[in-house]
Amino acid sequence: MTALLRAELLKLRTTRTFAAVVASAAALSLTLVVLGAALGKETKAHALFTNSAITYIIVILGAIAMTGEWRHRTITGSVLAAPNRARLLAAKAISYSLAGIALAIIVTVPTIIVGELVLSGRGLATLGAGGIADVLWRNLAVAALLGPLGVCVGALVRNQIVTVVGLVIIAAAIEPAVFQAVPEVGRLLPLAGAPGGVLGGTHGDLSPAPALAVMVAWTLTIFAAAAWRLRSRDLV
Amino acid sequence: MAPVEIRDLSKHFGAVAAVNHLSFDIEPGRVTGFLGPNGAGKSRTLRALLGLVQPSSGAATFGGLRYDELDEPSARVGAVLEDASFHPGRSARNHLRVLAITGNHPPHRVEEVLSAVGLSDAADRRVKGYSMGMRQRLAIAAALLGDPQVLILDEPNNGLDPPGIIWLRGLMRQQAADGRTVLISSHVLAEVAQSVDDVVVIADGELRAHGPLEQVLGGDDGPATTVRAQDPVRLTRALERRGHHVDRDGDVLNVLGATPEEVGKIAGDEQLSVLGLAPRTRSLEEAFIALTGVQS
Repeated sequence: MTALLRAELLKLRTTRTFAAVVASAAALSLTLVVLGAALGKETKAHALFTNSAITYIIVILGAIAMTGEWRHRTITGSVLAAPNRARLLAAKAISYSLAGIALAIIVTVPTIIVGELVLSGRGLATLGAGGIADVLWRNLAVAALLGPLGVCVGALVRNQIVTVVGLVIIAAAIEPAVFQAVPEVGRLLPLAGAPGGVLGGTHGDLSPAPALAVMVAWTLTIFAAAAWRLRSRDLV
Repeated sequence: MAPVEIRDLSKHFGAVAAVNHLSFDIEPGRVTGFLGPNGAGKSRTLRALLGLVQPSSGAATFGGLRYDELDEPSARVGAVLEDASFHPGRSARNHLRVLAITGNHPPHRVEEVLSAVGLSDAADRRVKGYSMGMRQRLAIAAALLGDPQVLILDEPNNGLDPPGIIWLRGLMRQQAADGRTVLISSHVLAEVAQSVDDVVVIADGELRAHGPLEQVLGGDDGPATTVRAQDPVRLTRALERRGHHVDRDGDVLNVLGATPEEVGKIAGDEQLSVLGLAPRTRSLEEAFIALTGVQS
């Protein structure tokens, strides 16, 4: 398992998509936070730094990585190298959990430093050490679970475009609509509902601990489904 | 126990039997050609052997163990599949490093196999810039990475230029000479005929022939001899009197059911001059068509 994980991490480090997306996400996030801190009238530091939109990029990256195995027809070689398909999927899921943590750190830390300086310069309330730690763990936890979720959804669907477009539609349209209509259900959903609770979102969200438990349950359930499907699928 | 064992293997897709109760063994120290027309079930059989498709019944194993039961499978079995693909954005060296880590192979094996397949100079280029032949060499490098005892090659000549084909032939012969097991599936029969010791012929998912190449080429018709005679008419009569069937083409006679020694003795008994005498074997193409019923 360690070897498989090392191999997946090497793939991740040496594929340009990941580096390009991380750099773009960091730059975009920094820009948004600086604008929000500099121009916002009643800027709340906590809300400013728990940027769920940026964190969600990891779910797309995970989905692209897994569906890429079919798109580039490398899944056969991957399974030949690691015939235990559940372990192969687990290694990729864990690697994207670690990638999510790395992405969250790379995106969150610079934005907090710059944002805090801007807020302090305007004489507005800053987070302080406790607040920074709170923002960090929330962002890291969500990213650490959304990465594997993207991998597992990709293993179930396989088609890259369908997977990515589907995830965006679910996260940006369907789950918010369900939340508006039936909040008790919407807050339990995997891409926007439960992550919103972990990040400390709007009124009606779950509190962080139960929301995190819901995210873990979703990730494990979709992993189990994806592993079962991957094991039973013929690679012809 | 043979290094590769196929036992009553069947694979059905709905009502269609892609592989139907197939059984054969592959012996070590020999290159075995796996032949059959398109859709005969060759790739399905190899994929069942490599654990990529689930057999409907029967088993395909390496010495009794399924591929996914092998410890460090890439150190036991190297495989080149027909549709071997690589991430276009990564280099050959990077691909092999990933496989080396996955299979617990030492890093120096990456450089060794890159050198062996002639890709050292292009190892850091991204694969999307590779020719088909270079990709095929990379696939072969990946198969050799674990220095395996068994090589499974599905259409390995695809994309290779003539020097590459000759190199691959030498590689297979060397692997067999080292006592390893080589199973090659190919539709290029002329190339297979130059490379293999044994053949397995399948059609419609079923076994049609299995054995040493000479035996399969000989067919079931008994020995046959081609003879060129100074007086073909008299020699034809002499042979037919002794019960042999003779096809005459000018001064050349094709004699069925007789070895060259028997034909030579008959000619000598009749005091007839023989200008040329050789055993007649079918070409692999002729044997393939006879066994599979497929016409070109």
